[in-house]
Amino acid sequence: MPLLSVNDLVMYYKTKMGYVRAVDGINFTLDRGESLGIVGESGCGKTSISMTLLRLLPENGEFQRGHVYFDDGSGPVDLISLPEHEMRKYRWKGISMVFQAAMNSLNPVYTVGDQIVEAILNHYPDMSLDAARAKVAELFELVGLDPKRMDQYPHQYSGGMKQRAVIALALSCDPKVIIADEPTTALDVIVQDKILKEMKRIQKKLNMGMIYISHDIAVIAEVSDKIAVMYAGKFVELADSVTIFKRPRHPYTYGLMSSFPSITGEKKKLFTIPGEPPNLLNPPPGCRFAPRCPNATKQCTEEEPPFIEVEPGHFMACWNPVKREGEES
Amino acid sequence: MSEYILEVKNLKKYFPADRGLFGRVRHFVHAVDDVSFEIKYGESLGLVGESGCGKTTTGKVIVKLEEPTDGTLLLEGEDVSTYVGARKKEYHRKVQMIFQDPYESLNPRMTIFDIIAEPLNIHGIGNLKEREERVSELLQEVGLTPPSSFLWRYPHELSGGQRQRVAIARALVLNPSFVVADEPTSMLDVSIRTGIMELMMELREAHNMSYLYITHDLAVARYMCERIAVMYLGKIVEISETEELLHNPLHPYTRALLAAVPVPDPEFSRGEPEIIGSVTKPIDPPPRCRFYDRCPIRTKDCEISDHPPLVEVLPGHFVACYEVEKQKRG
Ligand SMILES: Nc1ncnc2c1ncn2[C@@H]1O[C@H](COP(=O)(O)OP(=O)(O)OP(=O)(O)O)[C@@H](O)[C@H]1O
Ligand SMILES: Nc1ncnc2c1ncn2[C@@H]1O[C@H](COP(=O)(O)OP(=O)(O)OP(=O)(O)O)[C@@H](O)[C@H]1O
Ligand code: SF4
Ligand code: SF4
Ligand SMILES: [Mg+2]
Ligand SMILES: [Mg+2]
Repeated sequence: MPLLSVNDLVMYYKTKMGYVRAVDGINFTLDRGESLGIVGESGCGKTSISMTLLRLLPENGEFQRGHVYFDDGSGPVDLISLPEHEMRKYRWKGISMVFQAAMNSLNPVYTVGDQIVEAILNHYPDMSLDAARAKVAELFELVGLDPKRMDQYPHQYSGGMKQRAVIALALSCDPKVIIADEPTTALDVIVQDKILKEMKRIQKKLNMGMIYISHDIAVIAEVSDKIAVMYAGKFVELADSVTIFKRPRHPYTYGLMSSFPSITGEKKKLFTIPGEPPNLLNPPPGCRFAPRCPNATKQCTEEEPPFIEVEPGHFMACWNPVKREGEES
Repeated sequence: MSEYILEVKNLKKYFPADRGLFGRVRHFVHAVDDVSFEIKYGESLGLVGESGCGKTTTGKVIVKLEEPTDGTLLLEGEDVSTYVGARKKEYHRKVQMIFQDPYESLNPRMTIFDIIAEPLNIHGIGNLKEREERVSELLQEVGLTPPSSFLWRYPHELSGGQRQRVAIARALVLNPSFVVADEPTSMLDVSIRTGIMELMMELREAHNMSYLYITHDLAVARYMCERIAVMYLGKIVEISETEELLHNPLHPYTRALLAAVPVPDPEFSRGEPEIIGSVTKPIDPPPRCRFYDRCPIRTKDCEISDHPPLVEVLPGHFVACYEVEKQKRG
């Protein structure tokens, strides 16, 4: 069994204007030592997937259906079916998370160091305070923070320092899976590069599963073994990262990959996908990308394309995929 | 009239790093340490640099959310520290900030409409209907469509990038003359980000607006900014016209930064950066070059000298580095 398998996960937000279909039939697996990148437009449902997995939904978040099997070697457990007090054992130690809202995961009234020490002692009750502090100092060095600043409060940190503190927190209990939601948006490229490399190193060393969520395809390219491209609550394409970058088939993936602003090449006209991002309150029938898709046909606006395996390990939902060079149809 | 909308002169901001006995502060974080620059009417200056180097603090001092430890700030040639009453209110109308973290900066108890319309309220602009129109128009422009499905939501009902766009709309609602944009599009994908940058450029053309544009994304800085300043540990180490800086970076920190820009190619592998160590320590830095500990080309001279001054080594291209200065002098 894979470390994590997610089957037909569906979660909607209930609002006065109707349901926001943020997670609408998501499927994937994650093996030990594997990293999955999830990319997609702002608001397409990336954060909602991880909140559903961890069962940290807001009041109006309604779980509809699906399964999340977690197997750390002792047999698969469906996290969805667990009572809350059981589920708590899996958060942090089983699956830990670097939240997109860095500040919401730090408590403003405790020092940053104390918060990480507490997380460590919670999971390793036999560890001494000194040993825990030493571990925090090590984690600080690893994410590029000065250990001298352990005893400061979150508000004394810059945006990127808070983000790094949250990464240190997520790494502190040696989890089996880490979900990192836009973990480096506040970091300069040198610190980002260092942290992504460190995370990869730890991941391989501990054989962890990693899920990176990002809007930034360059970051995703650096860290992911395989990539899921998300559009309007659904995965539209999933494959190993080389395939996604070099031979994308779904028109949305193709659009995402074909333009990326460069800092040295010719200063080109900037790229946009024409049309408006979809409204998840009232998604169009058929393929949700149809109103913006260059390949759309009548079928696309009527029938929803199924998410199927088009070649081993390569999944896609599209009626008229982008042709590969030398291919007939 | 001054040629510049904003002039920052010898700005310093130190934060206490601890409190000793009897509350006496013994150590300081030198967040901003003698920074000077000026921005012309209609110009955008990019501010890039290491995480924690003092960018946000610089911005907060400009919008008067932080008192400087030392230094002066001139808006349209006038010293703003003397502003009181109506002048002060006018300053707060003209000068806006888009805050870095939209999870912290949006009031969780207000609807999106109230958040964006609040500045109009404070300054008594428009009636309710006009405010609603203005807010809807801005939501449309930042890609939160249809506006009617966002107006009455609360921030916690939005995604990260959607909150970021609300923060942008709020800062722009008053048609300010100067905006400190602190990583305004860091959570947005290329397509939506392009729309926002185009909007900001249009506003700039229409109202002769100026920006201090803080970003980690050099491709964004390239598109938005005429000039870029590079900061390291509280100091500006290099400043020049954008294309010149990107094609001819001189300071060793700038060079390392440019070499680390990620490439969207899973088969690309990058070497180690040409920079020593990895942890920057801004508490009570020694008086020598702030980059000394991590500099790949440092010399004995650097160790015993003060932090190098910013010197114009090429026309309009300023660098603070003894070695670069030596090379350029031949
Ligand atoms: N509590 C909520 N109530 C109603 N709608 C919500 C709620 N939380 C999120 N949404 C909506 O659900 C959709 C998915 O949100 P999510 O946060 O998962 O997006 P995301 O892909 O993480 O985007 P970003 O990259 O901008 O963070 C968005 O359109 C958002 O407006
Ligand atoms: N209120 C405060 N009290 C103490 N130290 C502070 C405070 N605000 C900022 N600092 C410190 O000042 C330095 C500069 O912080 P600032 O937020 O300006 O950095 P930044 O360049 O914006 O970084 P980032 O890119 O990570 O957001 C940091 O070392 C930070 O910890
Ligand atoms: S199914 Fe049709 S509309 Fe959807 S992506 Fe494929 S071609 Fe485009
Ligand atoms: S002054 Fe010396 S230490 Fe500083 S950047 Fe230049 S060479 Fe390096
Ligand atoms: Mg998100
Ligand atoms: Mg900042």
